[in-house]
Amino acid sequence: MIKTERMAAADLVMGIFLIIFGGIVIWSSLNMKIYKTFLDAPGFFPFILGIIFIGLGITMALSSLRRKGYEQIKQGIKNINFSRLFKNIQFRRVIILIALMAFYIFVLVDRIHFTIATTIYLFLTLYYLKSTSLIKIIIISVATAFLISTFFTEFFEIPLP
Amino acid sequence: MLDAFLHQADIFFQALGAQFYLTNILILAGATLMGIVVGAIPGLTATMALALLINLSYGMQFDLAITFLLGVYVGAVMGGCYSAIMINIPGTPSAAATALDGFILAKQGKGGLAIGTGVITSFFGMLVSIAFLIFLTPFIYTIALKFGQWEFFLLAVFGVMICGNLSTGMDPIKGWVVGFLGFFTAMVGLDKVYAYPRFTFGLLQLKGGISLIPALIGVFGISEILMVLEKEVPYKILGKITNVIPSWKIIRSLIPTAIRSGIIGVGIGAVPGAGEDIGAWVAYDVGKRNSKQGYKYGTGCLEGVAAAETANNAVIGGAMIPLLTLAVPGSPPAAMFLAAIWLHGVRPGPMLPIENPSFLYEVAIVLLLASCFVLVWGLIVAKPMGTILKLKREILMPIILPLTVIGAYASGIRIFDIKVTFFFGILGYILRKLDYPMAPLVLGIILGPLVDVSFRQALMQSRGSLIPLLGRPIGIILLVAILLITYSGFRRTLEYTRKHRKSDILKVTNKEKIS
Repeated sequence: MIKTERMAAADLVMGIFLIIFGGIVIWSSLNMKIYKTFLDAPGFFPFILGIIFIGLGITMALSSLRRKGYEQIKQGIKNINFSRLFKNIQFRRVIILIALMAFYIFVLVDRIHFTIATTIYLFLTLYYLKSTSLIKIIIISVATAFLISTFFTEFFEIPLP
Repeated sequence: MLDAFLHQADIFFQALGAQFYLTNILILAGATLMGIVVGAIPGLTATMALALLINLSYGMQFDLAITFLLGVYVGAVMGGCYSAIMINIPGTPSAAATALDGFILAKQGKGGLAIGTGVITSFFGMLVSIAFLIFLTPFIYTIALKFGQWEFFLLAVFGVMICGNLSTGMDPIKGWVVGFLGFFTAMVGLDKVYAYPRFTFGLLQLKGGISLIPALIGVFGISEILMVLEKEVPYKILGKITNVIPSWKIIRSLIPTAIRSGIIGVGIGAVPGAGEDIGAWVAYDVGKRNSKQGYKYGTGCLEGVAAAETANNAVIGGAMIPLLTLAVPGSPPAAMFLAAIWLHGVRPGPMLPIENPSFLYEVAIVLLLASCFVLVWGLIVAKPMGTILKLKREILMPIILPLTVIGAYASGIRIFDIKVTFFFGILGYILRKLDYPMAPLVLGIILGPLVDVSFRQALMQSRGSLIPLLGRPIGIILLVAILLITYSGFRRTLEYTRKHRKSDILKVTNKEKIS
């Protein structure tokens, strides 16, 4: 979790986001077709949600401002250091893991055979995480991908992507 | 009266007979064992166990799918206690309270005894919750039959508000924000009344809306993978597990705690979206304040383990009560279960006893049998569990992603659903890092269509007036409850702001001085 001292800044950003998002939702809902009356229109409930988002956003932003959220953002911008951020092991790890997931889902799956796609993804991820020795990583990647594919298609007759 | 009783008894015995087939028993035995193992592995929650294994149920007959999913659910909630006791990392959040006393007991060399107590009291918690499920649900059905559009609308809002309130610590606004974001998610796609496309941005795939199962798998599966893998948490298993079965004297001394915690668990379970973890914490806290042994809680006390474990398992039966009667899940794993039975064409709600009279009893019987299996497996696998817990999470977690991909794809045979899963996974991860709970989001997605349609229809019936609501007692109760929750929530937010204002000002001033 993010430390409490930085949470006020995050809450302020979220509060502003909710106010803008609520405004967009209201604007979109008012542009939706009205069939009989607005109470029954497709845009009616989203319109109410937009108002709620703005209300919650204002509450969050005010609460954050009272906790010096604005000062924390200013301080954060002043002290921002991208090279230090990317050197942070946890941050880098999450970014790379997300990139590997995105590569698997958006590039590999549906373009090449599921078993091959899964083998490549598992190999890359296990290798990056240094989970075990290279030989074991290769064996685990190939065996797991093959077992998952066979198990679902042959035993449970579930289609694979 | 007698006729009605005999009729119900007849349905009960039919449901009982239907479960005693070898296939059902074998599937239940396998499912509970799978649930225990998955639940025991740190990072794999009961919801994730269901999210991962739901795809195995797609090809099953409905009865078998129910048996399988409930077996996994019951097993996974109990399984969390192994890692909580043996390595001080709860396998599931519901076992977090168990770790407080369980791990200290393990350090004292009484890990086996703590596990045995956890398994037996989990079984007891299930028995209490099944009794409530069987006897309370028909009564709620009769109330639910009186629900009109106003009541359904208010119930959905109440569900999200109370869930948001309970699942956050000091700042309920965060729970409400994600709950209403869940409502918004459900608005995407064709409107249920006029089939008008809303928030589809011209994308054909979005016209069908955001499917529930891919969104749930993303929120609970992918976000969990990232949460676990983001940093290495080394852990060590303390010694060997011996002497698992507690003496009769110990069991007898724990009965009052188990009864009290069981009732608390059922009550918390029946609250929409509250979940097993809240049930365990509340029961632990109540036990600590009311028991004669309360002062020993947190110092390695078996009663503490019993309070938490009885309650988190009792939540399962409690969570089934609103699920079956009102289609409102009482916990995140129950939401996964609801999504699965929707996929099989069963629609829980007030009409369920008419459309499928034996369903309640089927669920109760499967839960009962599953808890028996959990009792047996739980005591048998206690010793070999040490080997399972040695599995490296850096190997296990990446393997989960292909399983989530299959689960998302197979629910609707659409590649787009895999992308939805990924999107919700990243969203869930970011929100969790910012202290936003996931249960209200899920509840919002589930209840979104209901809240939209029932609100519009209620307003149309009353021509925009709120006065007809005044003649509806259940509606008024729900409305008053919503207002009270809103008031208490805003008050807590104000307290939270006041509490953190001083400390944050001090921290900022100190930093400025340093810089």
